[in-house]
Amino acid sequence: MEELKTGAEITWCPGCGNFAIKTAVQKAVLQLEEKGNNRNNVMITAGIGCHAKIFDYLNLSGLYGLHGRNSSNAEGMKIANPDLNVLSFSGDGNGLGEGLEHTLFAAKRNQDITIILHNNSVYALTTGQFSPLTEKGWEGPSTPRGSFETPFNAISLLIEAGATFVARCFSGQVTHLTETLVKAIEHKGFSFIEVLQPAIPYHEWKEYRDNVEFLDEKPKTKEDALKVARDSNRFTLGVFYQEDKKPYHKALYGDLNPVVNSPSRDERLNKIRKFLEP
Amino acid sequence: MKNDVFTFLVGGKAGEGVKKAGSVAAHMFSRLGRHIFQLDDYMSLIRGGHNFAAVSTAPRWISSQYLNANLVINFDKRSYETHVDDIAEDGLVIFNSDEQEDVKGIGVPLTSEAEKYPMKELMLGVGAVAILASTIGLKKEEMNQIIKSEYPSGIENNIKFADRILEIVKDECENKFPLERGDKERKILTGNQTISLGAIAGGLNVYYGYPMTPASSILHFLASQAPEYGLAVVHPESELAVINLAIGSAFTGARTMVGTSGGGYALMTEGYSLAGMSEAPVLIVLSQRPGPATGVPTYTEQADLSFALNTGHGDFLRIVASPGTIEEAYFLTAEMLDIVWKFQTPGILLTEKHLSESSMTIDIDANKAKWAEPRLHQNGKYKRYLETDDGVSPLLFPISDEIIKWNSYEHDELGITTENPTLVSKMHSKRNRKVNSFIDYMKKELKTVNIVRGEHPTNVFTYGSTYMSVMEACKYGDLNPTIVQPIYLRPLPNWDLEEFINQDNIVVEQSVSGQFTSLLKEKADLQIRQTIKQYDGRPFDPIVLSQKLKEVLQ
Repeated sequence: MEELKTGAEITWCPGCGNFAIKTAVQKAVLQLEEKGNNRNNVMITAGIGCHAKIFDYLNLSGLYGLHGRNSSNAEGMKIANPDLNVLSFSGDGNGLGEGLEHTLFAAKRNQDITIILHNNSVYALTTGQFSPLTEKGWEGPSTPRGSFETPFNAISLLIEAGATFVARCFSGQVTHLTETLVKAIEHKGFSFIEVLQPAIPYHEWKEYRDNVEFLDEKPKTKEDALKVARDSNRFTLGVFYQEDKKPYHKALYGDLNPVVNSPSRDERLNKIRKFLEP
Repeated sequence: MKNDVFTFLVGGKAGEGVKKAGSVAAHMFSRLGRHIFQLDDYMSLIRGGHNFAAVSTAPRWISSQYLNANLVINFDKRSYETHVDDIAEDGLVIFNSDEQEDVKGIGVPLTSEAEKYPMKELMLGVGAVAILASTIGLKKEEMNQIIKSEYPSGIENNIKFADRILEIVKDECENKFPLERGDKERKILTGNQTISLGAIAGGLNVYYGYPMTPASSILHFLASQAPEYGLAVVHPESELAVINLAIGSAFTGARTMVGTSGGGYALMTEGYSLAGMSEAPVLIVLSQRPGPATGVPTYTEQADLSFALNTGHGDFLRIVASPGTIEEAYFLTAEMLDIVWKFQTPGILLTEKHLSESSMTIDIDANKAKWAEPRLHQNGKYKRYLETDDGVSPLLFPISDEIIKWNSYEHDELGITTENPTLVSKMHSKRNRKVNSFIDYMKKELKTVNIVRGEHPTNVFTYGSTYMSVMEACKYGDLNPTIVQPIYLRPLPNWDLEEFINQDNIVVEQSVSGQFTSLLKEKADLQIRQTIKQYDGRPFDPIVLSQKLKEVLQ
């Protein structure tokens, strides 16, 4: 675990749910390594928000991008070099507010990346405004009389968009989160994990611990998965949906790797010279 | 009109094969060994409206369409009315006698003759091509050969139709404009094709584009060529995605390009700044059309210059260059790809609809394209943002044992976020040193300005595709000023413009406010006596421009 840490000063609040996510990611990377999946192939991207600070703390290569654009950065890495395993860290505001289009399109394309959406149901770093997943009635600085928008259901939204692995985890259940991360990263296609995590200034662990429950079993069809996602409560944990489907890069160019198999300058010039003949 | 130019103009509704007839004409001229320039003027619609193609040809290099045509073929009344007042001396006008009667010109019942065949709409173009072939003195077998290869569906019907049309126009058209042959046949390409090929020659691996005229045909051409050159070519959800995908791909070492026009570029500016901070090499093709906002989508302008020069929040090295010709676009695109990788910063290849979508006969020595070669980390502990004298930190790509972190926050040499004041100023200085390093590189390695020396004491400054218009106007009007076309616009190579400081200078550009004029005044201390502007969405016509130049050059 030690070698997966950087020397960066950790600036999450004491007791933040993000610590456990970081631990679970480190464990998952080590477990994958035991299965022969080298950590040097693992790239990370992050948006902006409390979730994204994990970028500085994990001793893994990657790109700390802009608010909401992390999944595009991750897709860009995967398209250029499909040998990489790309994990993209996102937040409820980052991934379903500013970055909604990118999150949904990555799912639509079945891009073979993993999005880990840290859901603390609030814009924590910007002082507690309501997010796309905040329950109605939230009295934040931008909604002093209570928010009145109905939140998204991230699980059914992503299934509907075309994600082929969709799960919800809780940062208070690190073993389950680690196992799910391993499954999601191993999944060939777009995987999405919503991780419930309390932001201590705004929520207590108890709110979560008292309510979390596990799915009895993984729903068998997409329709079942959507029904279960809609009907279960927002603290229900487990893998809601998984499907085998050709990942985007395979459909785009088969077995090519644009960076690794790039044709030489001479090969290119030979073809261009031919093309330029009248 | 100068007698060495012959212009064929064909006009009609969208969907009637106007553009196709134009390109067949262009190939016909090229096969005679002549040079051509083709303008496709089309509206933002799918069917109807008025489209035309103007193909001008000469036995020498020609760099503009002429609207004053020798042979004008109109498929409908609207086309006739648009073009009838601009016919060359002894020129021929063909009108569709099924649409109008009793007008000047040669009436041909194009529609009723075409209706005898199943693919009647595509026939009009065949008719136009046949008339052209006959007027320029091609033999019947030559014409049939062209129809066979260019209109391969329903060949027999096409040839029968062409024969019928030629019977009607024989007396007035046959061998009316016999064309002198030129030295050799040349390839005809659009600017967007030479930009694409230049990028491939420079090492392109990945291209992202969201459809937007006039850049879309780069996306289409590269998508068609993707398997041939091992490229990934993707049309994602928006320009926001485009630029962030590109930066993700660049992280892996992929030579990446994106293309758009003004509105799409506006969405990319957030990511442009990310490329500045994370030091991501990304080449952006910005092909201008008239703005602001949606503007006039399928026409040309040069009013995004100030925007392109000043895009993105924060301080970082910005590079903007603009090709003056369709040939130069090939070399400059490869050069820009190399530069953005050498200096790890975003670069803009600024062009216009007029260069992107016009076609020309070209002579390109493909091998002279540059190859994108970044400075690479050799060995030992890797620091992504290593401090160096010239500000350029060596690159390393995954898969590696070393940790490679690119960051949008201010960061230390390892790429870890920092707010430490010493580090913040150190990293600002590091990135800022790249500006002077690049200027040194420009001085040593790059041709930054094209100068065509003339005898007239006045200098004509222009940039981008307007250079082609100025060249042709001077040829047409026998004008002989020195023509100066800065290729690099940011940093502006003022050291190469010093000789013009106390001279008489005028500018030709396509923006109402004179953005290029302001740039020259502010950054190169030039006195500009007058600016010739056009901002109706159309490229300059060489006849009109030569008259304006003549007045100003007195």
